[in-house]
This record gives sequence, structure tokens and C-alpha cells, in this order.
Amino acid sequence: MKKHILRILHSNTFISTFFLIIATLLAFILFHLVPENNANVALIYIVALILIARYTKGYFYGFFASLFCVFAINYCFTYPYFEFNFTLTGYPITFLELLIVTLITSTTTSHMIEQGQKLAAQEKKIAEADREKMRANLLRAISHDLRTPLTGIIGSSSSLIENHGKMSEQDNKELIQAIYDDASWLRNMVENLLSVTRIQSDTSTIKKSIEIVEEVVSEAVSRLKKRIPDARINVTIPKDIIMLPMDAMLIEQVLINLLENSIIHSHSELPVDLTVTETSHTIVFQVDDYGIGIAEERLPILFDGIPSTASNTADSQKGVGIGLSICKTIVLAHKGEIHAENRDNGATFLFSLPKTE
Amino acid sequence: MASKYCILVIEDEKSICNFISKALTAHDYKVVCAYTGKDGLSLISSLCPDIILLDLGLPDMDGINIIHSVREWSSNQLIVVSARSKESDKVAALDAGADDYISKPFGISELLARIRTSIRHSNKSNTSSQSADRPYHALDLTINYQNHVVTRGDTVIHLTPIEYKIVTYLAKNSGKVHTYSSIMQHVWGPYIDVNNTKILRVNMANIRHKIELNPAAPQYIFTEIEVGYRFLDDSE
Repeated sequence: MKKHILRILHSNTFISTFFLIIATLLAFILFHLVPENNANVALIYIVALILIARYTKGYFYGFFASLFCVFAINYCFTYPYFEFNFTLTGYPITFLELLIVTLITSTTTSHMIEQGQKLAAQEKKIAEADREKMRANLLRAISHDLRTPLTGIIGSSSSLIENHGKMSEQDNKELIQAIYDDASWLRNMVENLLSVTRIQSDTSTIKKSIEIVEEVVSEAVSRLKKRIPDARINVTIPKDIIMLPMDAMLIEQVLINLLENSIIHSHSELPVDLTVTETSHTIVFQVDDYGIGIAEERLPILFDGIPSTASNTADSQKGVGIGLSICKTIVLAHKGEIHAENRDNGATFLFSLPKTE
Repeated sequence: MASKYCILVIEDEKSICNFISKALTAHDYKVVCAYTGKDGLSLISSLCPDIILLDLGLPDMDGINIIHSVREWSSNQLIVVSARSKESDKVAALDAGADDYISKPFGISELLARIRTSIRHSNKSNTSSQSADRPYHALDLTINYQNHVVTRGDTVIHLTPIEYKIVTYLAKNSGKVHTYSSIMQHVWGPYIDVNNTKILRVNMANIRHKIELNPAAPQYIFTEIEVGYRFLDDSE
């Protein structure tokens, strides 16, 4: 029912009639208040015509409205009143003037609308291209990053099989430990990739539910501690219970990735700070480390999933690209924001999520 | 010395079966493997294992059906093994009667911890009359069921009746995960709308603020996102 009314309200006929009636009423009032100057009447109709041309589609309604205006002025506001008189001097000129005003406005408006549509289409294309680029980067980063630990696992295990009994107990242990480390890293990566599959790829949307922030934060911290037992993290959360719509699994993944990134890549023994703060429209999650910071040239592309170049030792940086680009994908799907910056004494990663859907 | 605990592993991946059975045998458990659900069911009835480790993704039958048919006649401890991405499967398995779950991939220490918890619970249920009113104690937290007092260190923690009910339910089955719906049905009765977990979660948040020193780094109450809650295991 509501929809029906709305459709009528938006229909061209309604808009045209509405403006014409208002204009005629105004014209009558003015005509009675200042009868000696009836130039106002024509001006009021011109305004009505401009508005009609602006808010209707095509030339049709504008043309008819200008016809109506000419007749209305002739009928109501020129002597003899309430009678048509087509012998007035300059009459065709009035009609022509009104028609020209209408046509010019209609043309400009439809041109404007067209331009707007073109811009929207272009933006959509750009967004699509961006997504495509991100996906391509992600794939490249994955294939680049998965090969390293797999090489390690295959190498270590095959040397254990082939050199059975020829190596020292110590060497055996080291190889087994290496296999374990690489496999754990792979598991981490697979969890990250799995989390991305929860985001609908075509619409980039997610299933949100109301979650309690401290539950998500505490689970993220405890899961990370399971993996890196000597990780030290100081968590600060407001005393009040904060409820926030989100996909808890995904936000947990973001927190784990950011914390792990800070712990491993800051090259610092100092504990990492995780601070949650509340602003008027968002909840902000901030991870501060007290380490070497982020290389300036990587800051702008940090979240784009581009593997770090060979120059800054590809090995120690493995996986950073994927983890952070997944963070970005997840936060964007929540309509939030994420960025990183350097402080004097370390790096800061922060992301914010909107409080409302 | 008591006889070895018997563990039945129902899992179709031979390599996983292999490592579980090697590791558990090394820790002095008796391990039997079944590669299909059908074999598993017949072994359950013939062996009467103390603990069943059940993989939910079996080729011949749905893991949930195995849980249902086992629960018809047996109360063996049943631990479900499941991939981490399928939270709804875990909830369904727990609600069907599984005692606990463990996510793939898991380390052997995690598995051993779950098995120890399960064994303790199966012992407890065998001697339920004595242990039912024994106070819960872990770290600094003590719950005295007889006079309804919860203390952390020397301070008495004041809980509302609903909060106390939740805490005792979790503590009496400490170490095991409880789904949202099982807690809600226990506390608010069978007619509660279990799909609306907000009331439970707000209560849990309040409990956490009262019991935990730092609610963001809990020591006693652990959240299993999209599944439920786990209370720190009783240290006996």
C-alpha cells in the first residue's frame, strides 16, 4: 500500500499537476495582493516550469505544462478575465519564451541524470576491477607463500625417511620441529582462507549478529596464546558491555592476524597493546607494538596482498601479505575502516566497525 | 592398577587414525580404530569403550545419526572431531548428545586434555551420589553448592539467582563445552526461545565481570564463538 502511494508520488503526472496547482494558487494570491504588476505571475509559472522540467523525465510533461501556463495566464490573469483572448499582442512570444525555458531545463536535467548514471556505472566498474585485483593479488600471494612451507615439509620429511638411522638424534628432532612449525603455519593460513569463504564473493556481504565485544576479543587472544604460548598482550576494554553487529569468527580472525603480525614482525620483546575504545558511531580496535615499525614504502600497499619484495628478506616476511589483505577484506565487508601507521616507538594497526547495521 | 581405558576412534582418514592411535597408545590407553560408521557402531556395542572419538564426516553415514543411535542405549563419553569452519555441525552434535568436541586440526596435547576431562566425568557419573555436592574449586575460585556461596580468594562474589544457576550448571560440568541452547533450557526452562541468545549472553557478560579479574583475559569462563561456553576444569 505504502509502495503504491510512493509510486504515485513519484509519477510524472503527479509532479506536474502538483507544481502547476501550487503555481496557480500563488499566482492568484499575488494577483490579488499586487494587481498592478502581473509580471510576477509569469515569473511564478516559469519557476514552476523549471521545477517540473527538473523533476520529470523527458520533454513531454514540460511541453504540456508550458502550454497549460500559457492558457492559464491568458485565461485567468489577462484582461478579459476568465475568458480566452488570443488576439493579445506579443502572445506567441510569451508562449515561445515559456517553451524555450522548459526545453532548456529539460535538456539540462536529462543530461545531468544521464551523466549521473554514467558516473555510477563507472564507479561500479572500478569497484569490480578493484575486487578482481584484490582477488588476483591474494591468489598470487597464496601460491607464493604456500610453496615455502611445503618445500620445508617435503624436504625435511624426505630426508628423515631416506637418511633413517644415519642422522643424529638432535638433527632428527630439528627436522621434526621444522615440519611441525611449517605445518602449523599452513594451518593458520588455511584458517585465514576459510574465513574469507564466509564472505559472499559476489556481493561482499556477511551474516552479522549481535556479539559482545569482550567475548570476541578474549577468544581471539586465547586462541593466539595457544599458538604462540609466550605471546604477551595487554588488553584494555571499556568497563561497559559493548554489543556490536558482526561476524564474530571473521573479526576474531582479524584480531588474531593483527596481533600475530605485531608480535612476530615488530622484532621487539615488549608486550603488544590491544585497546578497544568506543566513539559515537564506531567501536575502534587498536593494536600497538613497540618495535621497528613498518617500512615507509610498504605502508600504502600493506593491505593489498602484495608479497613483500625480495629486497626486504622475503623469508622473514612470509604470509604478511595474505593475513593483512584478509583483514582488509573482512573489515570492508563489515563497512568498517582499517589502516596502519608508524608511531615514534613502533607501529599501530587500527580498525573500526560501525555500531549500527 | 586399574585396567587401561579403552578408546574407540571412528575416523575414515587412515593417517589421522594412525597418529591418534600411536599417540594415545603411548599414553597408556587402549585404542581401537573403525574406518566406517557401520564398523564403529558394531564395535561400540561389542567393546563398550570408555570414550568414543567420532569424526562427523564419515563416508557411509551421518555422524549425527551415530550419536543418536549410541545415545539410545549408552552413556559412553562421546567426543566429536570436526572441522573448525562448521560451527553449526558442532552445535547439532552437542545437542544430539555428544559430550564435547575438538576442532581439526588439533595437537595431541589438546586431545589428551579432552580425554582426561571426559574420563573424570565418566568416573564422576559412576559415583555421582558422593560427588554431587562436593564444592567446585579451580585457581582462586570456589563454589560451595551447599550454602550457595561463590568466592574468589577471600572475596565473596554476589550473583543474582539466574547468574548462580548458570554458574553452577557450567561448573558442575566444568571442562566441557555447553551450547547456548542447553544452558538456556536448563536455566529458563524448556519453553525459552533458544534462538534468541541475547539474554544468556548479557548474563554471561555480567557473570564474567563479577568473577574474572580481567574480563578481557578470562581465567574461568571461556567463550567458544557460535557454539557456547566452557568453564575452567575443576582442579579437584
